[in-house]
Amino acid sequence: MNSKESCRSELRIAIRQLSDRCLYSASKWAAEQLTGIEQDPANFTPSNTRFQWGSSSIRRRFRTNEITSTPIAGVSYVSTPVMEEDDAVDGDFYLLAKSYFDCREYRRAAHVLRDQTGKKSVFLRCYALYLAGEKRKEEEVIELEGPLGKSDSVNRELVSLERELSTLCKNGSIDPFGLYLYGLVLKEKGSENVARTVLVESVNSYPWNWNAWSELQSLCTTIDTLNSLNLNNHWMKDFFLASAYQEIRMHSESLAKYEYLQGTFGYSNYIQAQIAKAQYSLREFQQVETIFEELLRNDPYRVEDMDMYSNVLYANECSSALSYLAHRVFMTDKYRPESCCIIGNYYSLKGQHEKSVMYFRRALKLNKNYLSAWTLMGHEYIEMKNTPAAVDAYRRAIDINPCDYRAWYGLGQAYEMMGMPFYALHYFRKSVFLQPNDSRLWISMAHCYETDQLRMLEEAIKCYRRAANCNDREAIALHQLAKLQYELGRPEEAAFYYKKDLERMEAEEREGPNMVEALLYLATYYKTQKRFEEAEVYCTRLLDFTGPEKETAKSLLRGMRTTQSGFPSMNVEHFSP
Amino acid sequence: MAGIVKPPGEFSITPHKVSVCILLQIYAPSVQISLPFPFASVAQHNRLGLFLLALTKSCDDILEPKLDELISQLREVFGVLNPRFVDHLTTRLSALSSPDDLFNFFTQMRRILGGPESCVLEDEQVILDPASNLGMFLRRCILAFNLLAFEGVCHLLTNIGVYCKEALSSCASYETTCFEDSSSNLEAFPEYENMDLENFVFKKVTEEIEARKRASERVSFHLHAPKALFDLVEDIEAPADPKSKHSDKVGEASPYVHPPNYALKEFEPNSGIFLRTNWQIQGYLQEQADALEKNGSSFSLNAFELILRQLHKLAPELHRVHFLRYLNSLCHDDYFAALENLHRYFDYSAGTEGIDFVPPASGSNSFGRYEIALLFLGMMHFQFGHPKQALEVLTEAVRVSQQLSNDTCLAYTLAAICNLLSEIGVSNTAGILGSSFSPLTSIGISLSVQQQLFVLLRGSLKRAESLKLKRLVASNHLAMAKFDLTHVQRPLVSFGPKASMKLRTCPTNVCKELRLSSHLISEFGFKSSTMTTDGAFSTAWLKNLQKPLGSAILSQENGSGSNENAFQFCVQPSSIPGSVLQLIGSSYLLRATAWELYGSAPLARINALVYATCFTDASSSSDAALAYVKLIQHLAVFRGYKEAFAALKIAEEKFLSVSKSRILILKLQLLHERALHRGHLKLAQQVCDELGVLASSVTGVDMELKTEASLRHARTLLAANQYSEAAAVAHSLFCMCYKFNLQVENATVLLLLAEVHKRSGNAVLGLPYALASLSFCQSFNLDLLKASATLTLAELWLSLGSNHAKRALSLIQGALPMILGHGGLELCARAYIAEAKCYLSDPSFSVSENSEVVLDPLSQASVELQVLEYHELAAETFYLMAIVFHKLGQLEEREEAANSFKKHMMALENPLDDEDPLFNVL
Repeated sequence: MNSKESCRSELRIAIRQLSDRCLYSASKWAAEQLTGIEQDPANFTPSNTRFQWGSSSIRRRFRTNEITSTPIAGVSYVSTPVMEEDDAVDGDFYLLAKSYFDCREYRRAAHVLRDQTGKKSVFLRCYALYLAGEKRKEEEVIELEGPLGKSDSVNRELVSLERELSTLCKNGSIDPFGLYLYGLVLKEKGSENVARTVLVESVNSYPWNWNAWSELQSLCTTIDTLNSLNLNNHWMKDFFLASAYQEIRMHSESLAKYEYLQGTFGYSNYIQAQIAKAQYSLREFQQVETIFEELLRNDPYRVEDMDMYSNVLYANECSSALSYLAHRVFMTDKYRPESCCIIGNYYSLKGQHEKSVMYFRRALKLNKNYLSAWTLMGHEYIEMKNTPAAVDAYRRAIDINPCDYRAWYGLGQAYEMMGMPFYALHYFRKSVFLQPNDSRLWISMAHCYETDQLRMLEEAIKCYRRAANCNDREAIALHQLAKLQYELGRPEEAAFYYKKDLERMEAEEREGPNMVEALLYLATYYKTQKRFEEAEVYCTRLLDFTGPEKETAKSLLRGMRTTQSGFPSMNVEHFSP
Repeated sequence: MAGIVKPPGEFSITPHKVSVCILLQIYAPSVQISLPFPFASVAQHNRLGLFLLALTKSCDDILEPKLDELISQLREVFGVLNPRFVDHLTTRLSALSSPDDLFNFFTQMRRILGGPESCVLEDEQVILDPASNLGMFLRRCILAFNLLAFEGVCHLLTNIGVYCKEALSSCASYETTCFEDSSSNLEAFPEYENMDLENFVFKKVTEEIEARKRASERVSFHLHAPKALFDLVEDIEAPADPKSKHSDKVGEASPYVHPPNYALKEFEPNSGIFLRTNWQIQGYLQEQADALEKNGSSFSLNAFELILRQLHKLAPELHRVHFLRYLNSLCHDDYFAALENLHRYFDYSAGTEGIDFVPPASGSNSFGRYEIALLFLGMMHFQFGHPKQALEVLTEAVRVSQQLSNDTCLAYTLAAICNLLSEIGVSNTAGILGSSFSPLTSIGISLSVQQQLFVLLRGSLKRAESLKLKRLVASNHLAMAKFDLTHVQRPLVSFGPKASMKLRTCPTNVCKELRLSSHLISEFGFKSSTMTTDGAFSTAWLKNLQKPLGSAILSQENGSGSNENAFQFCVQPSSIPGSVLQLIGSSYLLRATAWELYGSAPLARINALVYATCFTDASSSSDAALAYVKLIQHLAVFRGYKEAFAALKIAEEKFLSVSKSRILILKLQLLHERALHRGHLKLAQQVCDELGVLASSVTGVDMELKTEASLRHARTLLAANQYSEAAAVAHSLFCMCYKFNLQVENATVLLLLAEVHKRSGNAVLGLPYALASLSFCQSFNLDLLKASATLTLAELWLSLGSNHAKRALSLIQGALPMILGHGGLELCARAYIAEAKCYLSDPSFSVSENSEVVLDPLSQASVELQVLEYHELAAETFYLMAIVFHKLGQLEEREEAANSFKKHMMALENPLDDEDPLFNVL
């Protein structure tokens, strides 16, 4: 397929260019996508690629033949010409600087390049300075922990970098990589709008730098800003949009995009993991589990996103699988926040909450802004009945991301546990506002309204209605609705909901006390309504159950028969045993 | 709470503190230094000591002053002519160039502390007592330095470098940093200028090390210190985030609270900005909270928010900031922000933070104090005018504090509920104070709101007394007094012997409660809380430095305005906390209100005056405005409108910010009264409508104002002779008052109804209303209103025919002492006229024999009515006078009276819209 071929060649060049500039994570990403493309069995031999890549003749060939990609599924992509390298042969200083850089001696690298004027050298120098500043910042964060919490360390290179890059930008002597760095600096300095335009410019002229895309994505927190971006229609844009949709909780749109991308990048682990993420948000745990199983088969040493897998395993209570996963990541890389989180989840499933908290804490030490660890730690504290600690943990999660509905929900739960239902309502309101399609949230809120202290039943009914409308898996809402309506003295509504609940249970082939209750209510209700035929149907169904209800049903039947004896038209013999 | 955060340290060493240490060394030189610093005089020496004390204690800002600020302050204190301090300071500071220098410096500092063993005192020697304030400060500095890890020392050194460098190039560098952003300077810059200052210092240090030939050991700046040492690093150097450079919301700076150079600070990136000590910041926040409460909405929202944001950035674990944010948004009616910040504060702090937090005596309560959060949430809803939600939340607070046996919180919550119930017209609490409310269900019967309130008040008072919460006791007494003032006490249970029931309010109870509440001041007279006074005093002292010499305030107070006097002036800090003063002040206000109701004008006035003179400093501006309102109302009633309006102008200027509320209402009231008297009915109606609008604002309905507005509406209608409409309005008003149990207002409304019937000529119908009003007045001890009801009753009798004149006269004469003693101009005039009319209509009375009996009161009335410009009654008076003169045959006087009558009638019929400058303001 031509388009696959073109993607492949574009990516191959990009990987070289990216790793040449020490943008390692971007080149890693690109390489992952490259191998994710379905190989054409005809011209695929493992040897030829390996040998051809290094030679410059191949590179020149790719450059010269203008790639016109065939549109996939009617979308016409613009072809971005591959960037010309200004200096085909890297200078000696550049090589030295790159080696220093690879050894993480950033300042030395920058120093070596101090007099170089080539675009590549300038970029590497600035990038090295930026990273040196970042490294120093990280160190200072620990050194300067003030009496009232962490003090605000900044990257001290930002000011000078911004000055230099803006000058370059004005002169027009800046390449897309420089623009990416400029955008990064601007974002750190807080001027987000400028940063966004600069980054857009960067990705439009060089779309294969995933780092630039992800910086851009972190600047698009609403759908409006996302739509206002003026992006060229490159296939990388689809990756970007998919990830951006996911971040602004448009999960099904994101899923659609990823599935579409899978047409080309059929073997991409990245896309698979992202699909799993979307499915997880849509609470399709079964599918997530399958995806991850396959992912682990292909890529057994993967740690990224595995915390989500552990969440799924936790939810499904697969403790042995979880322990297996924990063991595996532990052996791979013990000091990754994800690993700690997985182990925390394992202990939590085992009911050892203290140990679990310890591991979540370790995860947070490794990454203070690790959102899900804060939330999960909150859950653990709730289990340990240490509500103040839970409240604190949840609140920190919220401060990292105010849209984290789980943390809001956790706060609500914590306050409800402390016997402050009215206070808790505020938090439940927040959480349902952020995730209006989650029945569990609505049910918790309704439950809060229902508590003995509040007894705000009308509001509870409204919440249960919402819950019933959005695919209430545990089928609590309908039952509760029926009960509440009965309590409020509205037998018709109660009967309506019992009937609906009954239908649902029949459809899902579930039986249980709820079924008995519904049948019994309906039987008595229709009897009082003098609709004996329906009442009898329910009574006979009740006879299939054991327990006191059976006797009640019998006596109901008997009672009906005696009343009905006045109505000769009815045929009661049919029901006699 | 989650344990991730380590407990906050107390103290950290910063360049500013090093400066203070250097100054301390000047103040108390150690024996080893051969040449003590030459002070010009003992006074100067003492001034330095005071200055240092103020530096360590003041809470006027969150950030430590920079070197140039410190230098300018030094110049203020010692005059520009004495640059030695400054020179000494700068040389010492710039001499600190290696870690070793710092080490030596602090070793030196240790020597100036007098130990217990150094009892040999020379005459001139100043020994710093280690237990004194300054001694403590020095000890903490030394300790903090000793605890620093090597990284910390390096940072301190770097910061001192920045600190000095900034001062040297303060003005020049500002210009460049300011325009840096515009990136207009295309000029080439040295590429490595940006290798930050740290490196600069680093280089310097290494050079020096080399110079000293100590290069044998390798100095690594990224020392891998053991973890324990890291924890002890307490330096809080915190450069301003460059983000703030772009913050576009440099709001309007409030001139009197925040130093105007705040915006400037925001613009400096990477400059060494240090927070003050924890203690000072808490003090600062406390002061700001007080100021917020005092000034209310005149406090600048954005400027303060900016400071708080910066503070939050610098000290993320200081959760009190969220509370201040809550207060700020509360004062500016930003519901959502207030709610958000309140929740955030309590989520973080669990109610266990703040200056005044006392850890629970028993270790049992480690689970936070979220009930306090409920209490605050309830108050917030109350403030925003959501009484139902407030009641819900407070009920929950009661339950939770009972569960956690937090009695203090319970007492406060009950007091808050009382306040809520008494302030907001809740006609029915059924379903709100539901089944869970134990004090009520234990009685087991349904009670009216007032009865519930009474039970609650009693319970709350008892609880507060047993817990020895003095302020709460005082405020409960006040609430009790308020209740006693307006409610008849009925037995709670409606069965049993009814003989003991007396349906009257009890003024002695009110007085007793008021007296009890102001006992509070004696409790606080002796022991003062050092915390607030120290800080406030130091702040005031430093602030005075910034004022130009001989500022207006000072010269008013004591002629010459030199700094010495300024110091004397503020050296006596009040030892009584502001909140206590506020409470006592409000007891005086309540006294004034009580006397107003009971009908003693002089006492009401005196109490309002006491408040206005003694408590305005401590009180919130709205309370102070209330006192002024009372005084102005008094003026209007007793001296006429001219004086009242003159006073109103002064008050308006004084309370510029709160003119929206009380002062505006007062203005409308005065305008309405005057318009009614002058007969400008259209204007009156307009003003009345305005009042009605004010009554139902966004933040909930003000019942009191609403009743007043419709009362005035009825009166306007009555003045326009639309009797049936007036009666209808008054009737519906009566129903409302009855529903919400506004008994005092009921009496007034009934009187108005009687008036309506009197004017419409249905005296018979009016009589029962007047009598009902009388009985209301009697049971609530409303003496003045009773007198005026009696007067109306007499007028009613009189209009029934001349055969009732005797009875009417005796009624009037019975009420006259009260009316003449306490009544306003209008009431007196009415009484005089009525009296004269009684005489005139009495057939047995002959004018010619006893003319002065009639003429005296009439001329008195005419004078008073002319002051009031009450044309209608004045015309009537002159008419009566003319008749009397006619009967007496004094034609000249008769003509004169007739002329006056004509003049007033003309004025009534052709209302001139001449001088109404005040109305135009509306």
